[in-house]
Amino acid sequence: MTAIVKMQSISKFYRKVPAIQNIVFDLRKGEIHALLGENGAGKSTLTKVMAGVVTASEGKMFYHGKEVSYASPHEALQAGIAMVFQETSLVPSMTVAQNLYLGSESFLNRLRGTYISAQQFLQSLNFGVDPRALVATLGAASRQMVEIARAVHHNAEVIIFDEPTATLTPEEKRHFFALLRRLKENGVSIIFISHALEEALEISDRITILRDGELVVTADTDQFDREKIVSAMVGRTLSEELYSQHKDASIRKPGKKVLSVHDISMGSAVRNNSFSVFNGQVTGVFGLIGSGRTETFKIVSGIYKRDFMRGGTIELEDRTVRYLTPTEAVGDGIVYVTEDRKGEGIFETMTIGENLFGGLLASGRNKGWIVRMKQIRDLAAQWTDQLNIKTINKNAEVVELSGGNQQKVVIGKGLTQNPRIIIFDEPTRGVDVGAIAEIHQLINDLADKGIAVVVISSYLPEIMNLSDRILVCRQGRIVEEFSPAEATDEKVMYASVH
Amino acid sequence: MILDPIIDLFRGQTITIPPLDGAFRANNDLEDALIFCDLDRVDNLGIWKNQTIASSSDTLYTFSKTGKAKELQKYPAEIIAIAVSASDDLVIALDNGQLLINDRKAKLPASTSCITAVSFAPDGTLWLANGSASNPASAWVVDLMEKNASGSVWKKPPEAESFSKVADGLAYPNGLLAENDSVVVSESWRHRLIKIDASSGKVSNLLLHIPGYPAKLSPTGDGCAWLSVFAPRNRLIELVLRETHYRYDMMSSVPRQFWIAPALSSDNSFLEPLQCGGMKLMGVHKAWAPSRSHGMVVRLDASMMPTGSFHSRANGNKHGTCSAIEHDGRLLVAAKGGNCILALPVSKTGESQ
Repeated sequence: MTAIVKMQSISKFYRKVPAIQNIVFDLRKGEIHALLGENGAGKSTLTKVMAGVVTASEGKMFYHGKEVSYASPHEALQAGIAMVFQETSLVPSMTVAQNLYLGSESFLNRLRGTYISAQQFLQSLNFGVDPRALVATLGAASRQMVEIARAVHHNAEVIIFDEPTATLTPEEKRHFFALLRRLKENGVSIIFISHALEEALEISDRITILRDGELVVTADTDQFDREKIVSAMVGRTLSEELYSQHKDASIRKPGKKVLSVHDISMGSAVRNNSFSVFNGQVTGVFGLIGSGRTETFKIVSGIYKRDFMRGGTIELEDRTVRYLTPTEAVGDGIVYVTEDRKGEGIFETMTIGENLFGGLLASGRNKGWIVRMKQIRDLAAQWTDQLNIKTINKNAEVVELSGGNQQKVVIGKGLTQNPRIIIFDEPTRGVDVGAIAEIHQLINDLADKGIAVVVISSYLPEIMNLSDRILVCRQGRIVEEFSPAEATDEKVMYASVH
Repeated sequence: MILDPIIDLFRGQTITIPPLDGAFRANNDLEDALIFCDLDRVDNLGIWKNQTIASSSDTLYTFSKTGKAKELQKYPAEIIAIAVSASDDLVIALDNGQLLINDRKAKLPASTSCITAVSFAPDGTLWLANGSASNPASAWVVDLMEKNASGSVWKKPPEAESFSKVADGLAYPNGLLAENDSVVVSESWRHRLIKIDASSGKVSNLLLHIPGYPAKLSPTGDGCAWLSVFAPRNRLIELVLRETHYRYDMMSSVPRQFWIAPALSSDNSFLEPLQCGGMKLMGVHKAWAPSRSHGMVVRLDASMMPTGSFHSRANGNKHGTCSAIEHDGRLLVAAKGGNCILALPVSKTGESQ
């Protein structure tokens, strides 16, 4: 088969940090090509380069033998490369049919005609979606179907699916796979990104595995089995140097049980989840995206509400708690350091001191009615020194800081709240290598002081390096616990996908 | 929230089981342990005249160093509890309600007919746990299904002639660890360890939410303790315990061995309620899943906090661990459901790390 897309030595750097490096990739006509790797391996970046969402820093891309470089997704779509994103890009206030024809409308449109052709088109794909329904009223799976239909409608020759099955039910998955096979028969080339290894083994013709932004292997699917894929996904190169200190570190013994979670449930995201957290230990929580880790700990810290009926029990040192707001949890010493620092963690246009003071205010530990600027400046001075926040001046706005230093501000905000339990959700996501080591040291110091520390991460080396016990989350519940002595990358990964 | 206790009445309670994590994290240590001796329905362990003794039904056995069992004495009823004083006085509690001190019947209060545990304090005070006011010890499963909390704890100082009640209203006290001025009690149906003050009778919680039914307690050489847990908690049983009418229907119409209730072992009958731990997922036996029977011995520190545990999991057969003692650098565990005594090195702490 001939290659329809060829990528030669493609690299993409963000602030000089490589997201992908020297990737050689080819996509053949009429094949389904699975792209696998851990979170942060570079799968999305590679496909985004292909679909014109980002431009490559280095390397060349050939489409039908011609060198191309797309400045926007629209350009790529015009050429025949469509990408179906994990988060759908539909307009919620428009109908399904309007979304399908968005961007390709005629000068004069007849709504009835649009609906009829949309109905015929959706039926041809075997998608049971009402073309007149507002997208806002659709469930996640139906939205995904509309997104897929839109890509097919544009007669794309290459369609990239980023985690297409994450929101689909088993029945819908069957339909989806049948559609992929039909598209393949029609000569469409498909890139399929998924965490579900069985799906990749079932549907794909070839598999490419990326790790730490580099290509590990590309081969025919029949040369792989689950173990080979997992081993290729988690084998370490660069990260071993960064995360190797754990081997010499001693494991902390558990202190008093401080948090006891019994059978908490929240819709289908968290299902009868039970676990305990102990003082003076780092409890690592590993799981793939969508496994319910973040949701579980957001319930614990009062951000999300568990099911009203039969939602389970949370006990903080033998006291049953049910928080309506995060403030109540912070008042009890439960601090959640968010994974989404820009959206939930910081006020970008406020100074470091103002952000830290915000944390103090939320904890109710600030006495008095008058806000004194000196107190804010002192707070900034104290925590910039303590957390080694690198900034041109201590009154700098957070937006001026690098990702790593912004993350330190978010952590500082949490620490001003005097936590008993501190939950770090992806503490080093989007953080440079130097800052990672500092944040890890900080986490270890907190546990050494006797604080109960929870680290949620989808990056295995981080979990293996930091944790005194490792909990593995899958499908909304903790399914396995490992001690660091017995945990291996393969075992933890196996537990998280089985 | 202040209104939560009221709203909870309408919210519907989740049936929650404490997870087997942290110090309770499951392993295969009991399953992999050496078998010291095979003995049918072995129950209580003790050290008498520097020899290991164990009860099996109505017979008391002693053992050679290599684990060969020798019959010591037969009794008129099943032996329920054993205690040995510092001066080697042997106390035996029988299922017929009798208490024998060096083979002589002790005078007991009228309401003690279900002696589940006996223990000597260092000052010679004999402590006694009466599991239930209405059922004999052999009918423990009936007592659980009736959801009784009629147990009591008694003591008899060396100079006293009779026992005096220290606490009552307990949900099946099943293990004792006596000190001079207090006693640690394992309360099986409330899944907790409590401390009862000898003089005031004041009860304080030591360890709550044990993920099983705690039984006998015994001291370690370094001031800590071993706790035997004879069966795991399981969601199905917890559900049955909430459903009063169903429970009484089951008790009246189903043979006792097939009740949805904790058991000391699986009898492998197809009539037996589902062994949840026997489930296989994707071809992998989920042995950690709670089942109707299990083996667990927990090491407790000086403050009665768990530090580690030994397990025989759902797919094992060293279940129904009723008693454990330390002797000669070994931990001996009586697995009543597994019909054997297991030996583990004391240096093994059961800690997961």
